[in-house]
Amino acid sequence: MSNTVNYGTIVKNGIFGENPVFRLALSLCPAVAVTSGVKNGFLMGVAVLFVMTMVNATVSLLRNFISPKVRIPSYMFIIATWVTVTDQVMAAYQRAVYKDMGLYIMLIVAFAIVLSRAEMFASKNKLLPSIVDGAAMGMGFLLALVLIGVFREFLGKGALWGYQILSLDGKPLKPLLIMILPTGGFFAMGLIMGFLNWIDRRFYGGTGSGGGAH
Amino acid sequence: MKELVKITLGLVAIFIGAGLIIGVTYKYTSPVRFYAEKKEKEAALKEMAPEATDPIKPAGNWTIHGKSFEYYLATSSAKPVAYIASTAGKGYSSFIQMLVSLDTDLKIKDVKILRHGETPGLGDQIEEKSFTDQFKGKSLPQIKLIKGETKENIQSITGATISCRAVTNGVKDAVQTLVDTYGAGLKTAPAEVIK
Repeated sequence: MSNTVNYGTIVKNGIFGENPVFRLALSLCPAVAVTSGVKNGFLMGVAVLFVMTMVNATVSLLRNFISPKVRIPSYMFIIATWVTVTDQVMAAYQRAVYKDMGLYIMLIVAFAIVLSRAEMFASKNKLLPSIVDGAAMGMGFLLALVLIGVFREFLGKGALWGYQILSLDGKPLKPLLIMILPTGGFFAMGLIMGFLNWIDRRFYGGTGSGGGAH
Repeated sequence: MKELVKITLGLVAIFIGAGLIIGVTYKYTSPVRFYAEKKEKEAALKEMAPEATDPIKPAGNWTIHGKSFEYYLATSSAKPVAYIASTAGKGYSSFIQMLVSLDTDLKIKDVKILRHGETPGLGDQIEEKSFTDQFKGKSLPQIKLIKGETKENIQSITGATISCRAVTNGVKDAVQTLVDTYGAGLKTAPAEVIK
């Protein structure tokens, strides 16, 4: 990493160039599990955004203090701490949300993207760039979940954010029920990932390097 | 040796710091959470018997799927107006928790799904009013799941048969318990008047 930090690049990197789901292909499991609706995807994204920002900040602050030999246990502990805080705050102040998401919040501890950003970025950079990187990566994750959620909820339920959009003779129309099942999650992710790669190659001369399972 | 101590102390320091952060958060969020949960439960019970003027109190416990559940007596000026039982059914991927209320004729007043983890888009259709409203006004022998059109019994939802069965069985067991507990008392009540 160079001494001059370009925040614009970090943000663009997090949302587009190294989008956690579509380009790095990290944390695909939650991306499939919670995106049967736009709302769930969005809320999960917000929780991850918060956790990633806090974890990156903490790891960056402690980067000279944590011994490289035990860095992974330290990072895991920091992640678990902030996830627990998120879980407790959500359970107390966002009851309606917690009812839907409570099951998944604790799983953020095991998200590969959080640990990978702590290891790859926050442990080597100063506080502010680390915070920006965490927020940008979280934002990229959030947007990816919302995109998959829109795709799946619209095709699977004919609805968006829980509101019915498509209907036939007063009955809700569900064009492709399979899209809200786990199978549909893989379809949606694969199709969107392929489409983004196609755009990248066609218009930006990229190599379409997305993919690679983690 | 020196490095070992350094690493250990470093880890201990991180663990203590993390423990403090979690502890402080818990201190401030747990009372809020506790009251919110208590309020939610009271509101749900109140919804099951809106005409009850007295606070709804637990009347006893019963067991289903190896877990203990409470049942409640809703009264209005010390006269019973509804019997409520919390119950559960074993669904496709979760325990479906419900509240069932009976009126004094031992017919179902209302069924409310409290919590479940069924498949989004399929199993979670059990939450829809069109399904739960079917239970209203039904008596114990009528609580039977039917695949296909029915007005007399409970009609299953396509693609959510297991979840529907879980709800129906949970409701049936709860109603059975309430009838066993309060039904006998009801039958003897008029006899006492005659004496």
